[in-house]
Amino acid sequence: MQLRDFFSLDAIKLDLAAETKDEALKELVGLLGLDDKSQGILFKMLKRRENLGSTGIGRRIAIPHCRSLVVNRLRVAFGRKPGGIDFDAIDRKSVQHIFLIVAPPLEVSNQYLPVLGRIAQFGKEPDVPERLSEIESPEQFLALLEEKGV
Amino acid sequence: MHPQLELLLEIQDLQAQRRALAQDPLAEMEEEVFELSPAQALRVLDEKIEELADRLDGSISARWREVSSSLGRAVAPVLNGVCYGCFVAVPTAWSSESDRNERIHVCDQCGRFLYYLD
Repeated sequence: MQLRDFFSLDAIKLDLAAETKDEALKELVGLLGLDDKSQGILFKMLKRRENLGSTGIGRRIAIPHCRSLVVNRLRVAFGRKPGGIDFDAIDRKSVQHIFLIVAPPLEVSNQYLPVLGRIAQFGKEPDVPERLSEIESPEQFLALLEEKGV
Repeated sequence: MHPQLELLLEIQDLQAQRRALAQDPLAEMEEEVFELSPAQALRVLDEKIEELADRLDGSISARWREVSSSLGRAVAPVLNGVCYGCFVAVPTAWSSESDRNERIHVCDQCGRFLYYLD
């Protein structure tokens, strides 16, 4: 399993318009191509997870995640906000790189946890935040995932 | 979407979060990576699930409680005309309705509430 296999180019946005955490979550959910009602339900679930505790893991990275019936397979998206967004992150710093992970409640292949773990592992690599800031295209984002072997 | 179906989906999604968080691999990761207290999060989720369940209408609430206690998950997605709770085909007439999630449908076979995904 390689992380890059889960990302489609149209679910990678390097210039998020969002200025707030809520706007960022909505914008990322919007990249998944769901209908409006499903997007609303998914946003609500992500908010509920954030209310339990922020998914901003520090080093400018956040990994909002949840399970929801509105998706029929594991979906991921990546968004970048160069100026940063207040995400109530663990280290209190603003977040620039956001990985969204959503999975159905029941998955035959059970990929949710491994994908979440790999993205967390990727985010902990010392040079990753800087490298993510430097990429100029969705293709370069996928190449970085591949280079890091996650 | 029918407001009660939306509520049922929300409850089921929260239950899915709860189930995942009650299991070791995710609980450990939530604690280590996200500094979340699983025990505290479970309490919050339980309260929220109960709060939302109280908003279900009488007959829907009764079915939800009955099916939840007997089958675990009270809502099943429908994909390609099949209930993914019991894997039995649902009436084709329902699948062709343009507003199928605007009504509350129940699987004839397993009794779960149905949510059309495709």
